[in-house]
Amino acid sequence: MSRYFYYIILINMVANIIASVPYILLHFYNDGSISAMIIATITGTIIITVYAKFFIQFPGQTLPDLLKQTTAKWFYAPLIFIMAVVWFFAGMITLITFTFLLIRYLTPEMPIVLISLSIILSVILGCFIKTDRVLYTIEIVLLLTLPLIIYIFLKAYTDPNINWDFVKEAALYINQMPNFESFTASFYLFLGVANLFIFNRFFTIKQKFGWKQIITIFLITVSTLFTTYFVPIGFHGTENIDHLIYPWIQTSDSLRMKYSLIERVLFVFLLFYLCIAFLSMLIHWHVSVEYLKYLFTFEKIKYRGFNLGIFIPPTLFTLISTYFVQVINEYHLFRLSSFLNITLSVFFPFMIIVFFYIKRRMKYAKNTK
Amino acid sequence: MNTQETLLWINEQFANTNELTQKTLEYESKNISYMYIKSLIDKELLQKILLKPFFEMSNMDQYKLYVQALPQYQEISSKEQALLEIMNGNILLEIDNELLLIELKLSKNDAVSSASVEMTIHGSQLALSDNLMTNINLIRSYYRQPTLNIEYMSYGEVNQQKVALVYDSEKVNEQALKLIREKIQRVDKQLISAANQFNNYLNDKRFSLFPQMVMTERPDRVIYNIGGGKIIILEDGSSQSLAAPVVFFDFMITMEDDYHTIVISTFLRMLRYLGFFISLLLPSIYVGVTSFAPEVFRTELALTVAGSRMGVPFSSFVEVLFMLFFMELLLEASIRLPKAVSATATTVGGLILGTAVTEASLASNIMVIIVSAVAISTFVIPVNEMAFAIRIVRFLLILITTIFGLAGLTLGFLVFIMYLVSLDSFGEPYLRVYNYRKSKKRSEGQA
Repeated sequence: MSRYFYYIILINMVANIIASVPYILLHFYNDGSISAMIIATITGTIIITVYAKFFIQFPGQTLPDLLKQTTAKWFYAPLIFIMAVVWFFAGMITLITFTFLLIRYLTPEMPIVLISLSIILSVILGCFIKTDRVLYTIEIVLLLTLPLIIYIFLKAYTDPNINWDFVKEAALYINQMPNFESFTASFYLFLGVANLFIFNRFFTIKQKFGWKQIITIFLITVSTLFTTYFVPIGFHGTENIDHLIYPWIQTSDSLRMKYSLIERVLFVFLLFYLCIAFLSMLIHWHVSVEYLKYLFTFEKIKYRGFNLGIFIPPTLFTLISTYFVQVINEYHLFRLSSFLNITLSVFFPFMIIVFFYIKRRMKYAKNTK
Repeated sequence: MNTQETLLWINEQFANTNELTQKTLEYESKNISYMYIKSLIDKELLQKILLKPFFEMSNMDQYKLYVQALPQYQEISSKEQALLEIMNGNILLEIDNELLLIELKLSKNDAVSSASVEMTIHGSQLALSDNLMTNINLIRSYYRQPTLNIEYMSYGEVNQQKVALVYDSEKVNEQALKLIREKIQRVDKQLISAANQFNNYLNDKRFSLFPQMVMTERPDRVIYNIGGGKIIILEDGSSQSLAAPVVFFDFMITMEDDYHTIVISTFLRMLRYLGFFISLLLPSIYVGVTSFAPEVFRTELALTVAGSRMGVPFSSFVEVLFMLFFMELLLEASIRLPKAVSATATTVGGLILGTAVTEASLASNIMVIIVSAVAISTFVIPVNEMAFAIRIVRFLLILITTIFGLAGLTLGFLVFIMYLVSLDSFGEPYLRVYNYRKSKKRSEGQA
């Protein structure tokens, strides 16, 4: 499998730490989070395998391409539109979460609109660049940021303040029945593969996807989920951990780099995770805009020969998300993101049925030719 | 093509100058006539290879055969070509009512100069000359492959400068070659004086910040680029050549990298990238940290910075812009000034940027250190054009940081990367990570 395939999956996994995933998981720490995580890991690996196996059969074809070839317009048009909205919301939730983080921890006196605008304006440029360029950007930014992020994780694991007894205690709750909300939250980590819907356009040469790839992905997710869940518990204990709004930010603030220029890891963590959040939003909004391009031909809208149409989706995105940033508070945000998690974890397994249908129709089309 | 008509026509074209020399020789039933431009011709050579044999040989047929056997001999296809070749330093010879061209150009610019822009300690000290043929001679003698292909053309409506495209026809990037040929056809300029101008003429975008071609004066770099499948543009009268397509990393290598041991060159490369990041980000980080989030640095450092800024009446970004502005002025001044004056400029400038500005508390001591660090690390970038582009990006980043703070700086840097990635240089992505182990076969496509 091409290395770019892993990046798409990896971004979603790494970005979960700043999303609401740790909050939801830790909220239900004594109510079935661990068993939910185990189930999510298994189903998640299965869904990644199914998705990847499906798309490597159609090299270079996006899902909208396939849908247009095999299904009727009344079916695919609403479906693609819904997907565009879902991807837009996924990006927007990352945006709002990070805006809240920045205003809370880095620049409290800056107006919230200004902060969110700075993120939106930088991400929106990604809507204009080509799909392969998005992947190249991801690779370079990951190369620059990932080493330090991994260093922070290692630092957290080796910190003297981490108390493994807490971790062991928390692990005892494995016997609880799995909690659905925890399941959806940890399932979210695996859904990066859904970006293949558009990014499959890039993989025009047939890829291999075998046990090696499955095991690699499985190991990466297990370690990410383990880090996401147990490191905050190791630092803060289980008592009242369900009241922490940003468990990972608190955890990173418990770390100190004694001899470095920047003593508090929090700032390094925030700024480097801003890069990851940027990438996550870049992927989501890029996919969303590409969906919209399948539904509407924006190039047709012109004003005095100037192509106005391509600016419509970015402008809409900017307006809607600046509106939401202002009206939403943190409680709403968590409700919204767990609602999104639930929708996604129902929606994406359902897509497998569509895949089967497409596959049969494509086979039929091939045979009749 | 009528010989007399052609001669008349050429005479007409030169009617307004007295540079054209015309002579007729008659001796023992032999006769020739010739015309040339006095200032372009090597007179000794003319005497030795054309005039002396004329008087020595027994008949006209032998002389004609002799002239046609000369390596400088050239056939004539049209009268326009004859005119152009006369202006290139040829002699137009008439024998038995037939026209012949002999190249006897006198070149005063064919000395190979020593490298002055891209200096190295190890490696060759030679640079290209101003003469196209000398340069091609250099390239050919360093790159011994029959596949080395050279296409000549001339550009500039007024000065008709000779331009050459040099590439290895087996290794060349076909798509880029096609694009360059296409774009070079469209070049419509009155005067072309240096190869560097093609960097703009072959660029479709009106405003572009980053160079689309890499400029070099070193023959070894030219060879290295040809071997890598690039296309070289050479021009007569210009000691710089251009190579395309380029990627960002081309601007970060020096030829010396291959001449050092691997550990040393890795170290030097890391140093260079570090310098790149410092020159790009350091001033903005200073603005972001002092004005927006002083708590980011460890307490001692934050206090030192704040203490150093005591008495400075500006906010940090005015301070940074003030100092950087003077640094840029100093840089620009020291390039253009005559050598005798430039020493004064640097001394005066050094005094301002050095101690006086802190004593007058217009800038903090730390700011002075930062500005000098930035200046030094900008010089570390090996190719000048990239260093110029970085200087501009640096100001943009300072502006963004002034408005949006440290988070804005991070995002601005990401946008900078995204911009570089989205650029194209003749069909090649400008910035991407290459896997050199399997550079030939792609494991995925291109969307």
